[in-house]
Amino acid sequence: MPPSFATCPFCGLLCDDLVVTPGPAGLLAAGGACERARVEFSALGAASPSPRVRGRAAGLDEALDEAARLLGAARRPAIGGLDVDVGAMRAILPLAQRLGAVIDHSGSFAKYRNLHVVQESGLITTTFAEVRNRADVVVLVGDGWTKRFPRFVERMLVPAPVFAGDGGRRFVLLNPADRSALPADAECLELAVPMAELPVLAGTLAALAAGRPVSLDRAVTALGGSASDGLAERLARCVDWLREARYGVLVWSAADLEFPHAELAVQALARMLRVLNEKTRFAGLPLAGVDGDLTANAVQTWRAGLPLPASYANGTVDFDPHRHALPGRLARGECDLLLWVSNLGTKPVPVVDGVPTIVLGRADRTFDAAPDVYLPVATPGVDAPGHLLRGDKVITLFLKPVRSGSLPTAAAMIEALAARLEPATC
Amino acid sequence: MLTRIAGGRVIDPANGVNDVIRDLYVRDGVIVDAPRDGERIDRTIDAAGMIVMAGAIDLHTHIGGGKVNIARALLPEFDRLDPMPAHGVCEPCTGGAAPSTLATGYRYAAMGYTACFEPAMLPVNARQAHMEMGDTPIVDKGAYALLGNDDFFLQLLASGAEQREIDDYVAWTLHATQAAGIKVVNAGGISAFKFNARSLDVDGEHPHYRVTPRQVLGALTRAIDGLGVPHPLHVHGSNLGVPGNADSTLATIDAAEGRRIHLTHLQFHSYGTEGDRKFSSAAQRIAEKVNASPNVSVDVGQILFGQTVTCSGDSMMQHRNARHARPAKWVVMDIECDAGCGVVPFRYRDRDFVNALQWAIGLELFLLVRDPWRVFLTTDHPNGGPFWSYPHLIKLLMDRSFRNEVLSRLHPEAATSSTLASLEREYSLYEIAIMTRAAPARILGLADRGHLGPGAAADIVVYEPHSDPEVQFTAPRYVFKDGTVVAERGEIKAVTAGSIHVVKPEFDRGIERKLDDWFRRHHTQSLASFKISDEEVCVCGRAPKLVTHACTHRG
Ligand SMILES: [Zn+2]
Repeated sequence: MPPSFATCPFCGLLCDDLVVTPGPAGLLAAGGACERARVEFSALGAASPSPRVRGRAAGLDEALDEAARLLGAARRPAIGGLDVDVGAMRAILPLAQRLGAVIDHSGSFAKYRNLHVVQESGLITTTFAEVRNRADVVVLVGDGWTKRFPRFVERMLVPAPVFAGDGGRRFVLLNPADRSALPADAECLELAVPMAELPVLAGTLAALAAGRPVSLDRAVTALGGSASDGLAERLARCVDWLREARYGVLVWSAADLEFPHAELAVQALARMLRVLNEKTRFAGLPLAGVDGDLTANAVQTWRAGLPLPASYANGTVDFDPHRHALPGRLARGECDLLLWVSNLGTKPVPVVDGVPTIVLGRADRTFDAAPDVYLPVATPGVDAPGHLLRGDKVITLFLKPVRSGSLPTAAAMIEALAARLEPATC
Repeated sequence: MLTRIAGGRVIDPANGVNDVIRDLYVRDGVIVDAPRDGERIDRTIDAAGMIVMAGAIDLHTHIGGGKVNIARALLPEFDRLDPMPAHGVCEPCTGGAAPSTLATGYRYAAMGYTACFEPAMLPVNARQAHMEMGDTPIVDKGAYALLGNDDFFLQLLASGAEQREIDDYVAWTLHATQAAGIKVVNAGGISAFKFNARSLDVDGEHPHYRVTPRQVLGALTRAIDGLGVPHPLHVHGSNLGVPGNADSTLATIDAAEGRRIHLTHLQFHSYGTEGDRKFSSAAQRIAEKVNASPNVSVDVGQILFGQTVTCSGDSMMQHRNARHARPAKWVVMDIECDAGCGVVPFRYRDRDFVNALQWAIGLELFLLVRDPWRVFLTTDHPNGGPFWSYPHLIKLLMDRSFRNEVLSRLHPEAATSSTLASLEREYSLYEIAIMTRAAPARILGLADRGHLGPGAAADIVVYEPHSDPEVQFTAPRYVFKDGTVVAERGEIKAVTAGSIHVVKPEFDRGIERKLDDWFRRHHTQSLASFKISDEEVCVCGRAPKLVTHACTHRG
């Protein structure tokens, strides 16, 4: 019999060629597994948690009762985390509307850098198989493509682009330190430009590509270069590559763009793509999907018509990336309870004085400060089936559990909580 | 439990019943024969004086899948203008240019629609499409899988593969994506755009595969007939929106060589180049051809004035039309060696010559295509306008004086450039029932929907007659879904889950060897990951049941 492959839920690539088996120290991930997958599967394999109430082991009913009591007493609850699968989101949203809660994903601040640009001007994008088979020029922004998506190079950039003609694939690196992540014989152009100058760089390239008069000297100075370091020549060469591309791809990851007004950089990249597509084909690949950010947003968007962060207060649904963002809400003291649901990752749960916290979390998670209630839940693709959106936004994959266990799903726990609440009054 | 719907004026064209006073009986969600004497009737709904029809079926409405969700995220400003607060059994959500799935289900059901077919399900995006449809409450759902721009198909065709192999691939796709039919969008053009072609005529060569749209249409119509798939090949033609594209549309009909073909949103494909503005109505030419071709069915894709968003698989034409975006923002995607998409918001203005003429062309098509069994009521939701404008559209079809009154308020040349003002036809209620119930069920092969005979699902709509059809069709007195009253007078009373409709023609599974190799060499997921099982689709689609409709081999 052929091996049964597992699909890894721990980054946006959703690699579906893993072989996961029980080992002495937890689950052993082999096959195509990257280092991160090995660590995550192993950590989950070793854990055998029980529910906890204020740090003390408790029975499931006791923990659920206490969580329901806290939820029932809350007037301005918030639901956060949301690094979860589709099934969990589908359970969370009816609860959010019933509670009138504010709801946000832990990574939505970064995600909004892209969403903001989509809502302002739109985007031209592509998906993994197009990159693999078609891309002859790949511009790599930042370092997320190798740091946050460990097998992106191996799976999408190493295979030969069959539709690209004979020329093979060329790379433009904006972060030359990561040259070693690419094949040694890859043809690369390095443009060492500080990340915060990305808007200037993209604007310069777009203007050059459009054939508008641009002072290269001024651009080089603005980008922190000098007349002698060859940046002007490299910029000119880069524009030639962009224009010569049959099918170029521009890769970035919004979470990398950690500088003020990073959305302006995405805006400039989006504009550059529109300019290039007047003559040739060039598409963006905003890599995402880590911690279920795309999944949580997609389910909220289709069910409510509006993305995250959202508020379900007063029997309505409202989207506001600033007012409803969870970190701000918590900091302003606008929440009196935090329900944190997170069955994929182990990001720290915000601790706010006087705000009771309920965590539906991974089996192996630990806390600096014990939450009021911790309910360990199944991780999709490990203990339970589930679905996640992949990092290019189009593919949803089924996550088959690699073991059978007794951990309940987050969806089942949400439903158990909802069943314990007072009947909804409408 | 036995329910009697008593004394209504039944209009049931599938069974040849036209306005006959009858009782209907419903047990366990199904319409049954009249009970024997003495059998207990648990509930009687008084329908005296009211009009009773089967639940309406929309055979082309973009309700789920990636591009619709992009449209939702793109346009929060219009959602905010159309809030739907929590109400009764309904959760809070929003309508707007691209309504939420909840709003879609609630509004369709409130209007008497009980089944909706998503026409552009990308095979690689099928899971998400089923999930979005699954979160669309009450109504039944089905979807057409997109083929004809995917590299596997194009290389098969280019390599001169036998028709049998193409048939197997088409059947495999229907199974793997859990689809109810096959659609082709701008045959070969979406793929050609990835090779930087900006247009592709029906006899133009694909820049890489050297095949023509005509060949794509030939192979796919042959496959659909050969496999006995009930729904004809669903075709979004070449050159959408381009003045003069009527020639492409006529060539597309010819490409089917007499095999069954469904031309969707025909309005967008019925343009000539006459007049000072080089934009004219070709509705008459197109309608004549449709009337003379019994193998052809069409839906109109009527435009209605106001804000919309166009969501299409046609990345090539959407990119070309993006300069008309209002508001000025748009998304175009190339997708996974499979297809593409383009989302472009649009505002149709009654004082704009082109928009006004588009409106007139759509109505000309409705009125000039004679056979109501072959022309379907659509706005290509949300592309031409939202589905909740159907009652208004029905009024335009049923009431000539209303139609001409609206026409008189539009850009004046819309009237002089089209024959609309002279068309006297008014649709009857019976014809409306054909085009919104009996005919879509027949053309989709849904044996148990779209009619009121014993054995049919109890999807039943009871209307209070009104002199204004728009009023009558907006908020029916009762809507039954599988026997449950889900809406009364436009208000949702129960939120149920609809079934998924699929077809599963027989095929040679040997095709999977070739596909497996293709997936390994080109895809970024495995063949096993791609396929959706019956069990899984019911989870994704939150469906109590998967209804598989028969395929009858037509040789
Ligand atoms: Zn359509």
